[in-house]
Parts: sequence; C-alpha cells; structure tokens
Amino acid sequence: MKGMIKGLGVTLKTMGAKKVTLSYPDVPIEMPDRFRGIQYVDQEKCIVCNQCARICPTECITLSGKPNPDPEKKGKVLDTFDINFEICILCDLCTEVCPTEAIVMTNNFELAAYSRDDLFKDLKWLGSNTENIRQDNNNIGAPQKGAKA
Amino acid sequence: MIRTEELLLNVGPQHPSTHGVFRIVVKLDGEIITEATPVMGYLHRGTEKLAENLNFTQIIPYTDRMDYVSAMTNNYVLCHAVEKMMELEVPERAEFLRLIVMELQRIASHLVWWGTYLLDIGALSPFLFAFSDRERILQLFNELCGARLTYNYMRVGGVKWDAPEGWIDRTKQFVKDMRLRLDEYHNLVSGNEIFLSRIKGIGKYDAATAIAYGLSGANLRSTGVEWDLRKTEPYSLYSRFDFDIVTGKNGDCYDRYLCRLGEIEQSIRILEQALEHFPGDGETMGKVPRVIRPPAGEIYVRIESPRGEIGCHIVSKGKAEPYRLKFRRPSFVNLQILPKLLVGESMTNLVTILGGIDIVLGEVDC
Amino acid sequence: MEPLSFIDKPLSWGHAAIFIAMAIGVLAFVILFVTYAIYFERKVIGWMQFRKGPNRVGPLGLLQTVADVSKLLLKEDTIPAKADRGLFILAPVLAFVPSFAVLAFIPYSQNLQFADLNVGFLYYIALSGITTIAIVIGGWASNNKYALLGGMRSAAQMISYEVPLVISVVGCVMLAGSLNLRDIVAAQAGYFWHWNFLPQIVGFAVFIVAAISELNRTPFDLPEAESELVAGYHVEYSGFRFAFFMLSEYVYVYAIACLTTLLFLGGWNPPLPQLDIIPGVVWFFLKFAFIVFSLFWIRATFPRLRVDQLMGLAWKVLLPLAILNIFITAALIELFGMGG
Repeated sequence: MKGMIKGLGVTLKTMGAKKVTLSYPDVPIEMPDRFRGIQYVDQEKCIVCNQCARICPTECITLSGKPNPDPEKKGKVLDTFDINFEICILCDLCTEVCPTEAIVMTNNFELAAYSRDDLFKDLKWLGSNTENIRQDNNNIGAPQKGAKA
Repeated sequence: MIRTEELLLNVGPQHPSTHGVFRIVVKLDGEIITEATPVMGYLHRGTEKLAENLNFTQIIPYTDRMDYVSAMTNNYVLCHAVEKMMELEVPERAEFLRLIVMELQRIASHLVWWGTYLLDIGALSPFLFAFSDRERILQLFNELCGARLTYNYMRVGGVKWDAPEGWIDRTKQFVKDMRLRLDEYHNLVSGNEIFLSRIKGIGKYDAATAIAYGLSGANLRSTGVEWDLRKTEPYSLYSRFDFDIVTGKNGDCYDRYLCRLGEIEQSIRILEQALEHFPGDGETMGKVPRVIRPPAGEIYVRIESPRGEIGCHIVSKGKAEPYRLKFRRPSFVNLQILPKLLVGESMTNLVTILGGIDIVLGEVDC
Repeated sequence: MEPLSFIDKPLSWGHAAIFIAMAIGVLAFVILFVTYAIYFERKVIGWMQFRKGPNRVGPLGLLQTVADVSKLLLKEDTIPAKADRGLFILAPVLAFVPSFAVLAFIPYSQNLQFADLNVGFLYYIALSGITTIAIVIGGWASNNKYALLGGMRSAAQMISYEVPLVISVVGCVMLAGSLNLRDIVAAQAGYFWHWNFLPQIVGFAVFIVAAISELNRTPFDLPEAESELVAGYHVEYSGFRFAFFMLSEYVYVYAIACLTTLLFLGGWNPPLPQLDIIPGVVWFFLKFAFIVFSLFWIRATFPRLRVDQLMGLAWKVLLPLAILNIFITAALIELFGMGG
C-alpha cells in the first residue's frame, strides 16, 4: 500500500507542476545554431571540387560544373547542384568537407512535402534557402584548413 | 471431456509492445505459451554490407541508425576500433567530451527503456516522466552536435564539435536535477506493489545460463555477474572515475529493472566527476591522416553500450573502406534467450519479459 | 405533494410521454457527462504527466471529445469479412442498453429519482451482468484471437468481481436494514463519520477495488490491455460501434461513481448537518466528482495487474474480506446496537 500511495503522491504533485508542452505549430521552435537542417548552396563560392558528392554516404548529391564564363579567371563554376532529399540523412558530412563553405546547413527542419518530386531540391531551391543559415560550420574535414584552430 | 486446441498467435510485427517491427509467433494453451518463435529482419538494412563500400567517416552516420536510442556508443565503438587499429592519439578534451556524451546517452537510453517498460506493464505516466527528462538530454545533444537522435558526432581521432559556450554548465545543472528526478521515479514506480508483483520472479535465469547465451549488459549483471566493460576492460577514460558495477541477485525482471535504474545513478556519478575535471581548453581533434586507411589486419573492439556489449570487428586490407565490418549487437544476442524464457509463461508475461530484455529493433536487425 | 407522485398512478399516454421525455433528458445528461468525463480524464492525466491535455478544439479544448465522437460517428462502418455478422452488430447494443438502464434507480437527492426500487442495488448487479455477455459476444464475433482473449479475460474478471462487489455492500444494507438506496442514504445522515465509509471501512475498500475492476479500468484494464492484446475485445470495432462500447464504459463509470457516493459517502448528506443550506444535489455531485477524479488519478499512476493475480485477488483476498465484513457488521449491530 505504501508504494502505491507514494506513487499517487507523485502524480498529484505533478498536477501543479510546470507543463512541458510546446505550442509548436503556433510558436515556432528555435533550433540551436548547430542544428542540421536542409542545406543552403552558394553558387558563387563553389569551386566544383566534388568533395561533397564524394563524401555523401547515401550519394544523394549530384553536381556539375562549367568553365568559368569570365575568361580571365581559371577553374570551373557551378552549373547544376541537386540534392535528392528522399535519401539525404542530414549527416553534415558535405558541409564538413567543403573547403569554401559553399554548402552549409540551415536550421530549417520542416521538410514534409506532398509529393516525392518536391523532395528533389535543385540549385535554384537550395540557393534561395537563405533563412537561418548556420553560422559556425566547423568544416574539419576540408582539405586546406585541417583541424580547427 | 473438453476438447482443447492450441492457439497460434502472431504477436507483431505491428504490435504495441514489440518496440518496433519485431514478431513472435507464439503457441498458446489458454493464455499459457507453449512455444515461441521470434521472427526478425523487418528492419534489416544491410548496414554491414553497405559499410564495405564506404570509407570510415561515411560509416559513422550508419552506426547512428543501428541502436537509434543510444547512437553515441555506436559512434564510439567504430571510431575506437579504427583508432586502435591505426594507433591514433585522441586529445584529452575530445575523450572527455566522448565520455560525457556516452554517459548522457546511457541515461537517455535507460530512460527510454524505463518509460516504455512501464508502458508495457500498463502505467501511463512514467513514459512521459522519462521522456520529459530525456528531452533535456536531447536538447543538450542538439546544442552540441545539431541533431537529436542521429548525432554523427564522433570522428576517427576526436569529435566533430567542441562544447559550445555554457554547455558544460547546462549539463552540470541537468545532472544535478536528474538526481532528484531519479528519486521521484523510485517514488512513482519502484515501490508500487502492483508493479512489484508483476515483475518479481518473472523471466528468471541464473548466471551460467546467461553466460551460455552470451547475454551482456543489465541482462547479465542482474544475475550477479560483475561484468561491465567500463570496469573490466576499461576504455576511454573510465579508469579515472569512481563508480560501481550495479548487479542484481536473482536474475529476474525486477533485478534487471533495478540494475538499469542503478546504472542511471552510476552514470550520474561518472558525469559529476567528468564535468568537474573537464579540461579548460585543448584540441578536439587529434592528428589524423587525410585519408583514413587502417593497416591490413583485423581488430575486435568492444565497449559497454546501455544494452550490453557492443563490439566492432574490422577486417582491413589497407584500403579506405573496410573489407568486412561486423557489429556485435547486444540487442540481437540478448534476444536469443527469449524463446527459452517464454515457454510456460502467460501472454502478459511475454510483454514483461520481452520489455525486460530491452531490445532496439534497429540494432537487432541492423 | 411529491413532484413524482404520478409514478404510482396508472399509465396514461400523457405520463408515457413524460417518461420518454425524462429518459431522453437522462440520456442527454449522461452523454454530456461522458463527453466531459473523457475531456477531464484526458486533462487530469495530462496534468499529471507534465502535459496540458487537449487544448486545440474549441476554447480550452472543450470541444475535443465532440470532435472525436463526430469522427467516430462519421467513420465508415466496417465489419470484418470473417466476423459473425449478427453477433458483431448485436454486441455494442447489448453492451450499451443495460449500462443506460441501470441509471434509472439512482437517487440524486431526497426527491430527484426516476425509479424508487426496493431492490436498488440488486437491480444494478442484475443488469450490469448483461454487459459482460455483450463483451464476450463482441470478442467472439470479431473472429480475432486478440479479441477472443480479451473477451474471455473480461468474462472471467467481471464474473469474479461481481461476487465481492455484492457481498461488500451487504454490510451497508445490514446497517440500513434496506436494499433501497434512499433508505441507505437516510441511514447515513449526520456528521461525515456517520457515513458508511468509516463504519464499513473494510466493505468500502473491497467495494472500491471490485468496482474499479468491474469498470475494466486501470489497474484492472486487462480485457483491453493494449500492450498485450492490442485493444482486447473491441480490436475489430471501429466507428459508431466502437463508440457504443466506449460510451457504455463511461456510463458505468457514472453509475459506479453514483453508487459509491450513495452507499459509502452518504449520498446527498452534507458532511456536517450545519451545512444543510447547500442543496443535497450539490453535495452529491461534489462527492461524485471526487470519485471520478480518483479513478482518473489511479489510472495515471498504476500499472496493470496480471490475469492470475487478478483472479487470486478476487477469490483469495476480496471475497474472504467481504464475508468477514458481514460478520463484523453483524457482531457490531448485535453487540453495540449500531445501525437500525
């Protein structure tokens, strides 16, 4: 009997306790800065090194480059960049290896869609995903920078 | 004379108490089980095969998805195996961070078990009590590595992120609160006579049986065997901290219950010490070659996950990808004893015993 | 003149119309009760679990149950192909009708009562037994193994617990010298320590345990133990048929809470005779609300018993205690002249 009464006491006490329920759809959830949401791709910064596509464990990134239209500059510029969000696992490895922070994470996590087609994100979509971009990207896997100072 | 018939009952794969897509085919005589056949594989994703085509950094996110209730320990076992193979040094600060997140994860994992186990037994509130506390751990993890469940936090040679500003203090606060909450848990459930009568003496086995079946974790310790890899084969920094191995006596569900709650308490003790001695600054990433290529050879590394001994066996041919990767998943091994325990028990005890083993289907099927 | 004096006169069309109107009134009241009992159950259990409970539909979530019930009523009516069609349809009706019929004899205050039955409590037991049959029928007709197990458990449980339930009340009946609920309440007049729950403490305890079990509520909710039997006897039911099972369950909560108030908590008697100015019906519903709250409270705290323990509890603990209680009561009446 004693144990049961103790238990009843705990639940009764909880009745007046502070509630933990979030008013989620009404009040948006603020994620911490490091949160890994859908990526933002900066076309200008990308040097088409293909690191992100190579490190991706699920091979959901495909990209292609074209010669720089400015004849005075060397190298390639980004032509297409697609992420198949059906299989992306938001593991953060693509941003980790990017040497120029051209691909970075955002805090946007509301990814539900009505159609599978909507989950195919192209450069236009990813380039305009400019809200809540992550500040600290800690790209420890990138070739030049190496370990964090 | 009444003619009776055996009833073949399919429990799962969609059943509230199988904790995922697990299926048991039970033969019932009335409500007494005469035979039980576990059927698994509904969540098989071929992690081990997939790993053969991925380099070691790429495998880490896959380990998150094995035991998704305790991803940090899975991260650790893989990184630890590769580090051992390549004889890499891990900076102290990184090792501290790893230990802290693993112990937090152990608490979170045992909280999930506690809540869902009580839900199986029919009590509704413990589930939400446990999850409201687990939520705080997940929030800490979210601040640390940007994800709540699939962390992908550890790297070969260190950790991805250093602790953000104030994180250590928030963790300290959480650990302090958790001690009080643990007392509340005991008040809410541990003394309840109905609960005790439900789990005392149920699913009993002795130490010899447990060892013969290869059980580990709380399932083994509940029989009184002092086997905790954190103590018996210390890895990480565990040898520096003062904690006890929680053991039971009778090897029944009640002892397993007490073992797990006791482990939460021991984790709190470890965390208190670790947070106290957390180094002020330092590297979080060791000196690691650009491409991780373990030398040709084999290694087996095991650590103590919340569910038991999780092992990682790597066969390397000196390439960036493993030749063969094998995980010894504690849930899978612990599950072996289930058919033996179920015979002669009632349907109600099926739930009690299965819950007491504490399986995670992502790990069973891998 | 008594407001309900026409009850004793021969039946005429006018009186029949009044009866039907009154029955509909009770039905409306009971459905209102069930709607808000479910709402408060979810609220109370939510509060006890750091949650807010339903708060989305209507102000403060007050229309949540209305929305849920409308959903059930609008749902497609499915009958499994292999089910026994006739019995499958019959079961929810058979479960609900007696649950509603038992409400007729409950007096809410000195004058507010629908049928002044001399056998009072026995009528409740007689009718509520029929619901057990409905549950077994529902479990059997579903042609589902889980439903069958749930139905069988339910039958065993309800039959076992009816015995101590009846016997535990015998003490109250002996003290009042009548089975009539109004007489039993009248016998408890005075201060709150005259209420039966103190002189009949053993009977009260047995009654509460047996009553919760009769209601199939936690910690005795084995027939629908969702973690073992998925949903028990109504696993194949959906839509309005499921709503009827649900409704009858909550109507029984209503009935049992009323009975506990009447038999053990002094019915409409105020705790102190000086508080007489507040009408009896208010006291009745205060006590009633307390009982209902306790049921929710217990549900939020306790785990579930096991089948064999459940039977053991009924036959080895509650029944001997209840019988013992009769002898103690008899001795008290004989030796100390308690009761009437």
